[in-house]
Amino acid sequence: MLTPKERLKMIMEGKTADRPACICPGGMMNMVTADLMREADVYLPEAHTDARKMAELAKAVYERDCFENYGVPFCMTVEAESMGAGIDMGSDIYEPHVVRYVTDSVSRFSALSPIDVSKGRARVVLDAIRILKEETEDVPIVGNLTGPISTAGSLMEPVIFYKELRKKNREAHAYMEFITEQLIRFGRAQIDAGADVIAISDPSGTGEILGPKYFKEFVVMYINKLLDGLQAEKMGTIVHICGQMSPVYREVDELHSSVLSFDSVVPMKEAREHLKERVLMGNVSTYVLEFGSPERVGSLTKSCVKNGSDIISPACGLGMKSPLVNIQAVLSSLKEA
Amino acid sequence: MSVKEELLKRLSDGVVNMEEDDVAEAAQEYLEAGYPAFDGIMKGLIDGMNRAGQLYEEEEYFVTDVLLCSDAMYAGLDVLRPCLPDEEDKAKRKGVIGVVEGDTHDIGKNLVKIMMETAGFDMIDLGRDVPLQKFVDTAREEGAELICMSTLMTTTMGGMETVIHLLEENGLRDKVKVMIGGGPISQRYADKIGADGYSQNAVEAVKLAKRLLDIA
Repeated sequence: MLTPKERLKMIMEGKTADRPACICPGGMMNMVTADLMREADVYLPEAHTDARKMAELAKAVYERDCFENYGVPFCMTVEAESMGAGIDMGSDIYEPHVVRYVTDSVSRFSALSPIDVSKGRARVVLDAIRILKEETEDVPIVGNLTGPISTAGSLMEPVIFYKELRKKNREAHAYMEFITEQLIRFGRAQIDAGADVIAISDPSGTGEILGPKYFKEFVVMYINKLLDGLQAEKMGTIVHICGQMSPVYREVDELHSSVLSFDSVVPMKEAREHLKERVLMGNVSTYVLEFGSPERVGSLTKSCVKNGSDIISPACGLGMKSPLVNIQAVLSSLKEA
Repeated sequence: MSVKEELLKRLSDGVVNMEEDDVAEAAQEYLEAGYPAFDGIMKGLIDGMNRAGQLYEEEEYFVTDVLLCSDAMYAGLDVLRPCLPDEEDKAKRKGVIGVVEGDTHDIGKNLVKIMMETAGFDMIDLGRDVPLQKFVDTAREEGAELICMSTLMTTTMGGMETVIHLLEENGLRDKVKVMIGGGPISQRYADKIGADGYSQNAVEAVKLAKRLLDIA
């Protein structure tokens, strides 16, 4: 019997394992629900700012048979906050989100602070990873990063940002360079602290928003720069992109990650056809996870496997009110099969 | 082609080609030549924006393209609108639009607002992370016939259902049509919470709004 870590490692390396892995990385791909918080007796928003609580909540995800990984943090605002953005920490049902930007233009990126990993919530995330590393084994620890474009769009008004990619192209690249350097620093520190896998979610950098040309010029370029900037000592990397892939399959295939993950608008079968050689992750509908039945979740899980997914995961962050039995049905149906 | 037609074409093409400055300039020349502002808006700017919407539907244009086209359209509107006779603006149907509480992703909402305005609706934009009661209060105060809500996150979509309940409690449900959209939203979800309609993108949203309000 493989341990969850051995299984995920084999799959990430493109080898065949006994069955698909079942993970939910964390970060944008939130795996914490109201039911789980009650069972663990650890609650958001407190666990966003306390390393021990963050680690305990991450542990509960595995211990309650939801997913076969640990993952931190549970939001996508740590990077922006560390660079100076104002954050509302949310509640037990709402995720933290940005309420104050740092700059009004890509040309004023000197307003951004470099990420200091020894302070603030970056430090909390690293401490949580250290706790998980020390107190657990056999289960992969996933460290999460907000992707370059999504971080960029959290530091200034995204509409202006998107326009300036074109109108101030040279300055936009300089802005993205700076942000990517900060993300590399945070990602490297996560691996140093004990993260086995780095998952990057870049929901604001979609092919539908940018079109293929700008997707390649900004999304592929800076995610690859980030991936290439991480040290080799890790099990692998995951990149999650939102939205339709049909305009950008060719560009997506250029990403240097071990694994590609998509949301539920992308039919797994279609992704498999376009990305034959890639390790794919996904994409059980979070709608069904929240509002469906365990049986329906089980049959969706099986169809993901059949259609070519190597690592089964929710297609997006889980809704807070998703019942625990539905979440558990993903893993249990994989074990049955 | 007459001078008027040439200027109208320049306005329309300028919007499609995202040339903000040239559109403003063309609008100025158009007024100075003594042509009516209304035609300049409808047959120039709005025509261009509709063409951009068409290109978006055909996946020739993407969201960033449409945003830049709309900048060009608004640059032209800033010049032409002050010269509209007063009555032209009155008959507009009103809608309230916003991103529901807990979520700040507003690109899709902005796009819907742009296309709705292009189609002649008067849209009251509440922005993002909008407290749910505010949709209801604004609709009542402004006499709006439509509420358009969006969210990109599964964690916040429940707020849409709450707004529908609030409309019921406030006795407004039969006076206002509710349209929803966004990443995790589907027709199934709209049916489940009792919304009047769902649309997948901004162009569809306009068609849906017209259908719901019986506008030809």
